[in-house]
Amino acid sequence: MIASVTLKPLVWHPHIAPVELPDATPEQLEAMKVTPSAKKVSAYVRTLAHDPESYVARTVLFNAIMYAEGGLPRPDRELGALGASVVNGCAYCAVIHGRQHAHLTQSTSLVSAVYLRRLDLLSPRDAAIFAFARRLSVTPSEATTEDIVALRAVGLDDAEILDLIHAIAIFGWANRLMHVLGHAEPQKPAAQPRRTP
Amino acid sequence: MTDAIDRAAGLAPGDALHALRRLRPEFVDGAELCRVSVLTPASDQGLSPDLRAALARRMALQNADPSLADPYGGADPELRRLAEGETDLPEPLASIAAHVDLVTQTPAKAAAESLRRLERAGLTNPQIVALSELIAYVNFQARIAAGLRLMKEAR
Repeated sequence: MIASVTLKPLVWHPHIAPVELPDATPEQLEAMKVTPSAKKVSAYVRTLAHDPESYVARTVLFNAIMYAEGGLPRPDRELGALGASVVNGCAYCAVIHGRQHAHLTQSTSLVSAVYLRRLDLLSPRDAAIFAFARRLSVTPSEATTEDIVALRAVGLDDAEILDLIHAIAIFGWANRLMHVLGHAEPQKPAAQPRRTP
Repeated sequence: MTDAIDRAAGLAPGDALHALRRLRPEFVDGAELCRVSVLTPASDQGLSPDLRAALARRMALQNADPSLADPYGGADPELRRLAEGETDLPEPLASIAAHVDLVTQTPAKAAAESLRRLERAGLTNPQIVALSELIAYVNFQARIAAGLRLMKEAR
């Protein structure tokens, strides 16, 4: 038994000034509507709105890959996203998709094992998916045919493996935006007790 | 019909994996629309299609994916050197190349200073975002192609 890790969402701050809504062009305003939750426009979306054409195209593809019906179960897509985010150093994405995995599986055992570096506790299926996600995320890819064999051995069919490759690859994309264009911080930084000498 | 990813992965119509990709037309069409949006966008933000093509080849080579890396076909000798991975380049190409290399190979090491260097080289915020999307797309495509090649080999 290991401790259960509870992940709290981080807050993302851009390294460059995002588009301010009063200054946005019609194309940028149109692009920002494509977000899944149109209630408020996050700093991340407003940062990417500097280049509305690529933002719209990527959002459509991202949603297809992560939410398409059938094929690879959604928790496995989130696990692929988590593995990529760990390798690519995107703390923000790792927390979001770790939380998604915990929510979808109603269990924190996988994210706890990952965050406490107890990969020996993963099920054979999760271990095969997570190892492939990490190896495919390195530049250049370190994944091998043995990874594919391992995924088949734990029951994934080719359609599911192809879904998994897409989930990992789209985080090779998302991490390179989120971690490069900004940085993540805890929501409410706990006050550190000051030690006086 | 084949697209850039099929060609990179060595898939032809009639192959099982070519057919498997078409079971998710939204992935195939979506990736192609993304490719256009970063390599030959309607509005290029002042980053020419020639520069984008040269950078795409540079990143594909770093992903050990020469099949993905269309040779730079333009006339500009500096862009050709950029495409082939050289680092001794004039500004702003030197700063762009350093950033592209960092984010392709070790994205975890990127920090605010990486973007400050692009700003000092004269890039605007729209150019920084457009460059980031290009880098991210090429690294996405390289992973799709690498994964498909492994599936093909592991048959």
